Amino acid sequence: MARSRPQDLAAVLAPDPPVEPPPAVGDLAQALSRLRATIGGTTYPLVMPSAEEAKRIGAALVAQLDDYLLPRLARLDAPLLVVVGGSTGAGKSTLVNSLVRAPVTKAGVLRPTTRSPVLVSHPSDSSWFRNGQLLPGLTRTAESSTDPKTLQLVSAPALGPGLAFLDAPDIDSVVDRNRQLAAQLLAAADLWLFVTTAARYADAVPWELLTTARLRGTVIALVLDRVPADAAGEISAHLAEMLTARDMGGAPIFVLPESVLEGNGLLPEDVTRPLHDWFAQLAADSNARAAVVKQTLDGALAALGPAVAGLAEAADEQATAAKALDERVTAAYRTARRSMENGLQDGRLMRGEVLARWQEFVGTGELLRTLESRVGQLRDKIVSAVTGRPAPGRNLQAALESQLATLLRGVAADAAEQAYAAWQAHPAGTALLEPGLQKPSPDLPQRAERVIRDWQQYVLDLVRSEAGDKRVVARGAAYAVNGVGLTVMIAVFTSTAFIPTGAEVAVGAGTTVAAQKVLEAIFGDQAVRSLATRARTELIKRVNVLLDAEAARFTDRTAAVGLELQPGAALRQAAVEVERSREEVALTGTPS
Amino acid sequence: MSLVDRVKHALAGDDRVDAEQLVARLDALQRFLRVTDPYLPDNDLVAAHTLVERAGSRLALSQDHTVVALAGSTGSGKSSLFNALARLKLSPVGVRRPTTGVAHACVWGPLEPANRLLDWIGVLPRQRFIRESALDGDDEAALRGLVLLDLPDFDSVERGHRLEVDRLLGLVDQVVWVVDPQKYGDRVLHNAYLRQFKQHSDITIVVLNQADRLSPSDTDIVLTDLKRLLEEDGLTGVPALATSAKQPGMLNELREALEKTVAERQAALRRLSGDLDVVAEQLATTIGPPAAEDEVDRATVRQLSDALAASAGVPAVAAATAGAYRHRAIASTGWPLVRGMRKLRPDPLKRLHLSTDKPDAALEAEPVARTSLPEPDAAQKSAVGLSVRAVAARAAAPIPPVWAPALNTASRSRLGDLPDALDRAVAKTDLGMSRKPLWWGVVGLLQWVLTLTAVAGLGWLIAGYAVRVLGLPAFDNPKVGEVPLPTLLLLGGLLVGALLALLLRPIVNYGARRAGRRAEQRLRGAVTEVAREYVVAPVREVLNGYAQAREALTVVRSE
Repeated sequence: MARSRPQDLAAVLAPDPPVEPPPAVGDLAQALSRLRATIGGTTYPLVMPSAEEAKRIGAALVAQLDDYLLPRLARLDAPLLVVVGGSTGAGKSTLVNSLVRAPVTKAGVLRPTTRSPVLVSHPSDSSWFRNGQLLPGLTRTAESSTDPKTLQLVSAPALGPGLAFLDAPDIDSVVDRNRQLAAQLLAAADLWLFVTTAARYADAVPWELLTTARLRGTVIALVLDRVPADAAGEISAHLAEMLTARDMGGAPIFVLPESVLEGNGLLPEDVTRPLHDWFAQLAADSNARAAVVKQTLDGALAALGPAVAGLAEAADEQATAAKALDERVTAAYRTARRSMENGLQDGRLMRGEVLARWQEFVGTGELLRTLESRVGQLRDKIVSAVTGRPAPGRNLQAALESQLATLLRGVAADAAEQAYAAWQAHPAGTALLEPGLQKPSPDLPQRAERVIRDWQQYVLDLVRSEAGDKRVVARGAAYAVNGVGLTVMIAVFTSTAFIPTGAEVAVGAGTTVAAQKVLEAIFGDQAVRSLATRARTELIKRVNVLLDAEAARFTDRTAAVGLELQPGAALRQAAVEVERSREEVALTGTPS
Repeated sequence: MSLVDRVKHALAGDDRVDAEQLVARLDALQRFLRVTDPYLPDNDLVAAHTLVERAGSRLALSQDHTVVALAGSTGSGKSSLFNALARLKLSPVGVRRPTTGVAHACVWGPLEPANRLLDWIGVLPRQRFIRESALDGDDEAALRGLVLLDLPDFDSVERGHRLEVDRLLGLVDQVVWVVDPQKYGDRVLHNAYLRQFKQHSDITIVVLNQADRLSPSDTDIVLTDLKRLLEEDGLTGVPALATSAKQPGMLNELREALEKTVAERQAALRRLSGDLDVVAEQLATTIGPPAAEDEVDRATVRQLSDALAASAGVPAVAAATAGAYRHRAIASTGWPLVRGMRKLRPDPLKRLHLSTDKPDAALEAEPVARTSLPEPDAAQKSAVGLSVRAVAARAAAPIPPVWAPALNTASRSRLGDLPDALDRAVAKTDLGMSRKPLWWGVVGLLQWVLTLTAVAGLGWLIAGYAVRVLGLPAFDNPKVGEVPLPTLLLLGGLLVGALLALLLRPIVNYGARRAGRRAEQRLRGAVTEVAREYVVAPVREVLNGYAQAREALTVVRSE
């Protein structure tokens, strides 16, 4: 009751076996190894919608390369592996037993039944399957077990050489490991024998797998099991419709009616005869076998390209996301720097500090202290009167250190909050955050005070080294001006015939001395201003270092995930090489 | 105990759900949602909102009917079971999969009261069937009030069926899960559906359909395995029955279970109670230990008001008050000859637009002008920001972190109005400078007397000099000792006046300091008021909301 004619299969698939040049196959194998290494080395550490998908697909591709593509490419003439897969309770184990006419796998009434997969082969082929090149991750055993990481090898002389059956676990039971293992085994198959039943043929999960197989070009055959005798025609017609609708019209369907099992748990021979004959023919014809193997292999290789393209995109998205996250942090801390600079705009903070250190250094008397600070205030008032900008009218009461420390703490707290909120808005950022990042680091107050003290030390050193010179210059300039003024005064007196008596000279000299001090203060104030500018620049530089360390708390996290600069490029390159080698090898004889 | 008794016990194991208590719990949940709506993120509250809506609708509809749904995978035999229970061929059965695409309903009893219920559930009118007819007599009377639904499947290629099942499962009162020997171990059934009904063990029945395909011993094995899987899903104590649509004798247990459910009329209440438990568990993470409303302790508020006082310029105003006191004192009690020079200097308080001569009462009623205090500088703004953050952090410390964003937002909600409010507070504070002290007047008068004395002496001397110059006969000045009186008056008046002014200086300074301190105290009090109103009060509101939500959730979680 098969739907398509088995003898057409060979004619359709294999016009003539191509002669494969060993170097091309070797190149292909190398390209595949490089691709495997690249995929294995690509990580998707940032949490994004595409990352989960990419991880899954990446793992599946690596598994397929290891389990099937590389070993199969190495031995194209190895026996054909038929993987029997399907839903729980479909009757896979019973079918395998019936095909080899021996109870090699345990079937039962509890669901799910098969726990560890069973591989049935001809005794002459068992060495190939035992040596572990195919499906290297599974340990070979001789007895049945419930450990899914093992592969039970059974010999059955009734099976012809060149063909082997693998009874896979189910694809949709509660046991998750079954599902993952089934998907892995199906990816390692040369031919899928998909078993479904009259009750299950419209389930969603099997059809997803079948669609994947179609996209890969794998050879599929379907078995419709447990069909009630009166409904066979209707159901098989419906199934054929569904296959055609999904572009799988070429797959043969074998319908097995609901029958009573024989004593040893096998299906009656007449029920399985068509399937049995089909496989026997396949086993006998080595060309047909080779054609099946090559079609599946070629299809799997061709499907690598689009899959790897998806992985490359996901990898590029990761790099973009990391950069975007860093950008947001930089922007937040840039704002912080700007606020700090604006906060230090008021020059009186700086000048006060420099002047204080100067006066302490030179030991200025209290009177001159007041004079020198008054000169500064007066100059501010004059400047503001001329330029129209209001003079600051507030007394500096708090110490410079506490003002700076408060400013720094406030600026750092704002920046940390901003950066935290910016990362929270990004899906990948949320995963990288921890609650402590919302506030500045706990030791920031101490570090800020340290920075300020170091800066004050710098100012002190600056005053010590430079103030002396500047003071000399100030004094000299004051002398010069005063000297000129005195000469002018004397000239005026003599020219106007006011003979300078001793008293006038004394008064003039006294005035000169006072004016001298005033002028010194004026010139000294200018020196103080220039030193204050330098002090401000230095403070801003040191504060920037501190803020950079704060920002690093965030950017370290993106750096820690260890993304390369262009992760997608390596993947794309490897895929292109694989595609080129595949075309050269031309397994199916037609350049694709 | 027979299976029937076990089922009865399982169904009656819980106490009956008190309808009033259920309504009280639902009201409490609604209160909770209303209080937490502005504070908690919407995602956490969606399930609760849905439940409140659904419960309101269900309780308003017919309480005499119990809605029971037959749910299961495609091919499990739901429609056959449906037909067998109704004893009529109502739902189409077929071999093509999937069969049932829309839900069918069968009502035992008159259709009319159940119609509104079915409208709410969303069953099309042409899929509704009535079961009672004159031919049945009293056979079906025991099931009167039952509304049986045949649902579509949830695992076929038709995605729409699954969506419909998901929707309907949220609306029914009791669920009968129909599984068959082939598919009873499917992942979709257990992970996506049975596990989600963990809290509803009291309204769940699981039947192993198509049991006629298995031998009796195999049936027992499968049933045991099925019960094991149900235990793993968390559905303990749920009855698992073996049924077959083809053998009516195997349906008796199921029928009896349904009759019992219908008679009790508790299914809807049990369902809602179970849903309430699920939602309460989800919301439990948002509420923690109780938080007193004055969690924002004194130290934090003091730090806040210190920072606000600095940014509002309170020290400057206090200094200006002291300066103004000194200025005015000297203007009143200084040496009259140089008093006028004082007017060349500005009055510090007037410079800040803070002096007022009006009495206190008028201060309250009139609009207040802005002072001329300069803006706070960057360090002070930072200090304000830090202390506001500290207030929010202190309040958020004992309660679950999900409330932290709401507290942060609340503490900053009126930050923009703060500068203006501080300015107003400073302007409205009575600095105690509106009245002049009495002793100023006395001393001022004394100074004037002394000056007049000096002027009189000077005038006398000038008169004597003028008389001499004009050639008139000089008059004798009376003498006090050796010194003539007018000279004494002149010099004495000037000297004593100058001495008085000098001696008063320290007193004036002391008075100025006191005035400054007093002004600072009053200003700080005003600033603290502003701090409480603008920063602490919004935070207290949120804490109050938390306390109310906590109380409401306690009611919801009470059994």
